[in-house]
Amino acid sequence: MSSSLGGNTHTGHDPADESAFARIQQSEQFQTLRRRHRAIVFPLTAIFLAWYFAYVLLADYAHGFMSQRISGNITVGLVMGLLQFASTFVITTIYVRYANKNLDPLAEEIRHDLEGDAR
Amino acid sequence: MSDPTYGVLAVTAVTLATILIGSFALRFSRTTSDFYVASRSVSPVWNASAIGGEYLSAASFLGVAGLILTYGVDMLWFPVGYTAGYLVLLVLVAAPLRRSGAYTLPDFAQARLESMLVRRIASVMVVLIGWLYLLPQFVGAGLTLRVATGVPGWLGGLLVAVIVVFSVATGGMRSITFVQAFQYWLKLTALAVPVVFLLIAWQADGRPALDDSRPPTFRERTTVTVRTDVSFVVTDPVRTVVTGRLDGTTYDAATRRLDVGAHVAREGARLTFPAGAVVPHAEKLEPSSGHDWARPLSGAGGRDHPLYSTYSLILALFFGTMGLPHVLVRFYTNPDGRAARRTTLVVLVLLGAFYLFPTVYGVLARIYTPDLLLTGATDGAVLLLPQRVVGGLAGDLLGALVTAGAFAAFLSTSSGLTVSVAGVLSQDVLRGGVRDFRVAGALAVTVPFLVSLGAGSLAVADVVGLAFAVAAASFCPLLLLGIWWRRLTDVGAAAGLLVGGGLATAAVAATIGGATRSGWLGALLAQPAAWTVPIAFLVMVVVSRHTQHRVPPNVRRTLVRLHAPESLPLRRDPPVHRRPA
Repeated sequence: MSSSLGGNTHTGHDPADESAFARIQQSEQFQTLRRRHRAIVFPLTAIFLAWYFAYVLLADYAHGFMSQRISGNITVGLVMGLLQFASTFVITTIYVRYANKNLDPLAEEIRHDLEGDAR
Repeated sequence: MSDPTYGVLAVTAVTLATILIGSFALRFSRTTSDFYVASRSVSPVWNASAIGGEYLSAASFLGVAGLILTYGVDMLWFPVGYTAGYLVLLVLVAAPLRRSGAYTLPDFAQARLESMLVRRIASVMVVLIGWLYLLPQFVGAGLTLRVATGVPGWLGGLLVAVIVVFSVATGGMRSITFVQAFQYWLKLTALAVPVVFLLIAWQADGRPALDDSRPPTFRERTTVTVRTDVSFVVTDPVRTVVTGRLDGTTYDAATRRLDVGAHVAREGARLTFPAGAVVPHAEKLEPSSGHDWARPLSGAGGRDHPLYSTYSLILALFFGTMGLPHVLVRFYTNPDGRAARRTTLVVLVLLGAFYLFPTVYGVLARIYTPDLLLTGATDGAVLLLPQRVVGGLAGDLLGALVTAGAFAAFLSTSSGLTVSVAGVLSQDVLRGGVRDFRVAGALAVTVPFLVSLGAGSLAVADVVGLAFAVAAASFCPLLLLGIWWRRLTDVGAAAGLLVGGGLATAAVAATIGGATRSGWLGALLAQPAAWTVPIAFLVMVVVSRHTQHRVPPNVRRTLVRLHAPESLPLRRDPPVHRRPA
């Protein structure tokens, strides 16, 4: 199956397409977009990995607390474990908000500029 | 064993519903493009339900509860990791991959690296991972049908295999989207309704809990029927009534004292334990007290080096999700990036809500079905609890509901995986076109089914965890470096895929083949992600740096396309393959 990516030779040399690529890549806005994207993606990944890893350790240090029973076999550790679902959701919400607020509008701007050029 | 009628009815109902919804949607499916990604025209809530429906497999439905029953709270990382993997996928991979227009991982590999060799290696990895993920679905199906109706184990796997091949061959992805969405809600209901009754019964029972100081005990006089030969360890001498073959002697309702140590019971043996006796453990498990079970990182149940194992598991699940063939393709069914993000949020809610229930089952199973620790068939906990705790007609009906949900889980996950594996097989092995797609579907299912016949006693969630580990050690570096690092070369990618994927596969094969699970070697083999993922990254980077003359000629424009806003006129629509007239 051929792909729409630039990889295949038969899609390689369309001059109009080529100039559009160059224009986009050199534009200030595109560079800003890439910067902003990187600025959220990598720190966010590092932070949430660190959070989960630290959580595992905390659970170990606080094992007296973790094995306290709330009711029957339901322990504090069990509930804290389930709270990880909530923390995953919170982290994702932060990312989604950022993307909607800071990435999408910029992408729209670039698009408008390009379409304006074309006219 | 309870009346099998209800179980048979449950399985029949799910099967019929799946086939009916599948053929209803059949008429929408016109081109190969429809087959693969449902024309990108599915709304976020439908799409999220479908993702949940496809994703919640035997491992989630049966396996998580079984692991919690055996190993305790550490096992919560399985469901948390299954869920958080979507966050990693969304943040790092989803948008650029959508914009690449590549439908599958091999498409991406070829397009980014402009190399057929990398494409072929990626294809092989997709098929391997798909098969590894399909295997436990068949094992789980066999177990479920055996518990529900008493038929031999292979029959359940065969049933699932046949239905999946049929529905994939006739419906393709579009129908699968509707079927999957239906399956999510069925699975949720099938676990949620019985939980209400289980908790009421538990409440009425005086809310029993574990005795902290010792391993689980039989709460009442209990007869354990051994379904497959088992070697088990007695930790507290006990007098049992034995019928069948035990330790090389055949008994007929004879009272026999079991001393501390290992014993072997043959298939069909029945052992009756008095109330209060400590439950013996299958040899592969280790007894743990209630205190260890409730404490994180205690190594309860016989897992050595729990801190390493937990970290490695987290890495495998977080970074393996992006490399699962049936997960990625789902993001194409969103019309744009914003919808993809909304879909992910809904997915997280749906998965989080679902996983509350297997956790409750696992906790209750520790109290009410500890005999599963003896037979080692801990994945049966979810299926057995309703009859054991609620009992009577209500118990039978609830049991049937759980059975139906379990079958929905096997069918949905197997369908999604089969579509992906068959897609790769038909494009790269059998050469495109819808007819081949059907042949490929059959081939995709046959191999793991045959393997499942010889793999009766695997814990399904463990095997699925291994599939994640292989994905994390192969596709995670390919995707992350491919999207974010300009200097990746075809040789580097190929080397990293082969070394990382190869090492992880070898570790998995050793674990499934019964290699040691104790000590450092056992921990490293059973949880290979923590060492294979860094090695794969390292190999890709180092080899790429030494082969810079092979950086793909169009890399600049490829990367612009991956990172440019998708609404730009740059992005061509993905190629649409017409069915041969």
